Amino acid sequence: MTNPFTKPVEDTVARVDHEVAVGEDLRFQRSWWRFEKGVWVFFVLVIALDLAGVFGRGPLAKAELQSSDRAVGIRYERIERSGTPSMLTIELGPKAMVDGATHLFVSDNVVGSLGARRVIPEPSSTEIGHGGLTYTFPASRPPASIRLELEPADAGVFSFEIAVPGVDALRAKILVMP
Amino acid sequence: MSTIVHAIIGYFVLLFTVRVLARRPGGQLTLFEFVIIFLIGGVAIAATVGEDHSMTNCGTGILAVGLMHRLVSWLKERSERFAVIVDGTPLVLLKQGEWQLETMRGMRIDPEDVMAAARSKSVNSIFEVKYAILERNGTISIITHEH
Repeated sequence: MTNPFTKPVEDTVARVDHEVAVGEDLRFQRSWWRFEKGVWVFFVLVIALDLAGVFGRGPLAKAELQSSDRAVGIRYERIERSGTPSMLTIELGPKAMVDGATHLFVSDNVVGSLGARRVIPEPSSTEIGHGGLTYTFPASRPPASIRLELEPADAGVFSFEIAVPGVDALRAKILVMP
Repeated sequence: MSTIVHAIIGYFVLLFTVRVLARRPGGQLTLFEFVIIFLIGGVAIAATVGEDHSMTNCGTGILAVGLMHRLVSWLKERSERFAVIVDGTPLVLLKQGEWQLETMRGMRIDPEDVMAAARSKSVNSIFEVKYAILERNGTISIITHEH
């Protein structure tokens, strides 16, 4: 009766010079070396793209947008990384300031998906509605800027909108890398 | 959830990176290569755990890595091809008094590395070595003419 837990020893390992059982597979190794070369080229490419900012936090990631009448402009990073802080800067022109105040509308995505953590300076009041938040800031004369500290929690493509009354809304998309 | 996904991705990225770095893990690692491996591990940990340093998060991350390792071991046992891809194949570095230059260059191994392995087996001269074999675990086996 055969034992199911044992097996006769077989000489299956390939020998070198019919002498030493090594099991060398040079053909596989040669293909692996070719593959390795390709992988190193890929690694260098990834590093170069990263330095350029294709994966965020580099020159190519930075973006600017301005309304046609230059009343509002935004500087932001079109490619961000999840869990990493970045700054969305809103530049305000004279048309954005009315009666000593600026009313700035930001869409819900800025606070939700893009994870706005802080508004600098702090607004004097915040109003909810129209699919977003409207901040009110006391304002005197330009140049003036408002900064929103973003820290998206999840990866994805998120569109957002920034607007002040009487000026065309600025719409953009941000790609958040994992 | 994200920690488990990050841990699984991190495990395979680490496995792949270490595999293509060079097959000198274990016995043949130099001090600098040890530092590199730890550095890569440290970077992977930061991306895996993130800001959540809770026991739950770290525990699930460890379990996910352990499970992946078990899965890879199971696949290696099932498929010889997969085992060769993950661990590589044994390679002859020195055969009957001749260095196998293609293999030595490909694996970035110097005669000094072979001689170091020979010394550890109390072999005093390279001429006593009949075969030197780079094993899958990165150690160099020495077979002398006496055998």
